[in-house]
Amino acid sequence: MTAHAADAGRTATGTASRNVHGRALAITVISTVRWWGRAWLPLFFFYATRIRGPSPQLAQLSFIHFARWTLIRRLPANGPSAPEQRLRHAQLFFESNFNGGWEEYIDAFSHILTRGMNTLWGSSYGFPKPLPTAPFKAYIRRHEIEASHFYSAYPEATTTMVAAALEVEAKLAALAARADAMEPEAFADAWRRFLTDVQRCL
Amino acid sequence: MNANRSGQACALTVLTPILPGSEAELRAHLEALHERGSPLARLPRTHFGRWVVVPDFVREPGQRHADRLRCPYLLFTSCFDGPLDSYLDELCAGIGAEALEIWGRCAGCPADSAGLKAYLLHNKIDTGIFVAAYPRATVARVRHSLERRERTIAFALRSQGMEPAALQRAFVEELATP
Repeated sequence: MTAHAADAGRTATGTASRNVHGRALAITVISTVRWWGRAWLPLFFFYATRIRGPSPQLAQLSFIHFARWTLIRRLPANGPSAPEQRLRHAQLFFESNFNGGWEEYIDAFSHILTRGMNTLWGSSYGFPKPLPTAPFKAYIRRHEIEASHFYSAYPEATTTMVAAALEVEAKLAALAARADAMEPEAFADAWRRFLTDVQRCL
Repeated sequence: MNANRSGQACALTVLTPILPGSEAELRAHLEALHERGSPLARLPRTHFGRWVVVPDFVREPGQRHADRLRCPYLLFTSCFDGPLDSYLDELCAGIGAEALEIWGRCAGCPADSAGLKAYLLHNKIDTGIFVAAYPRATVARVRHSLERRERTIAFALRSQGMEPAALQRAFVEELATP
């Protein structure tokens, strides 16, 4: 059996069990880039990281912990059995660490990041455009590689839970810093205001 | 700006050629890590990590020339609390033996962990775009915040109906110290 997830048994999350750790899912995709993508993608990476900054559309995808896109153009030499390999085509490597389901993830990516997906994968051979999603999902399945080992430091936490916890902690620390010096009635009021403020995070 | 960074979070991508005849053994070793306990759990600055065996590149029907890997490659990626230099020092010192069990099945890997850092850096691939949902939060802070959120929820339920003085006392005892 090959490592490609399309051939592997999938869990209820829509991906292979080794791509799952707790609520966290891994996706690993490598696609072959046409000649013009070799020049275009580094320019886009430069623009996206140094000029534009984080994509506001990507920020809407509240289920992604970390994601990356990388261009592989050469493989360095590692002794006589593995000389340097300069690739004829650059390879676009994409990985994401997210929560939820595989299908929902690709759906959300396709609908919210439609333009960004065209920009990033438009130079890859066989890329069918993000919409409609069925051909795009088939494309990702063809190029996805199952992890042999995937690790999350906080496997039971979703991205939303982490963001909520960080917000609660910051506000809790602010209340805790002044709690001792307050009158009991004033503290009870402050505690109620704190709960109202953070209730969507609890 | 360094594209391998987002806030204090860093991305590491390493691709190493697997020694001839070692792919199945390496794959079996990696697949057993989950049951044995991930070595990455002993690197406290690691948010997420993975090892992936890349057998070859996929050729699409419209692609005139195939790009074939000369051998299967091992892909390692990590999202961690920077900087990279001290993270790799911790990797070599903290999980050196397990790391050599893994990368020792790859071409060019040194026989001891002293040369492992240079080997990983030699095979590192720079990131194009790295996106982090909470770029300023370390693993320690994320875990601490998750635990404090759970304690806050429990305290909020337990403290319902408490008198102000008792509420304040209980809060100071249970939640005021981080």
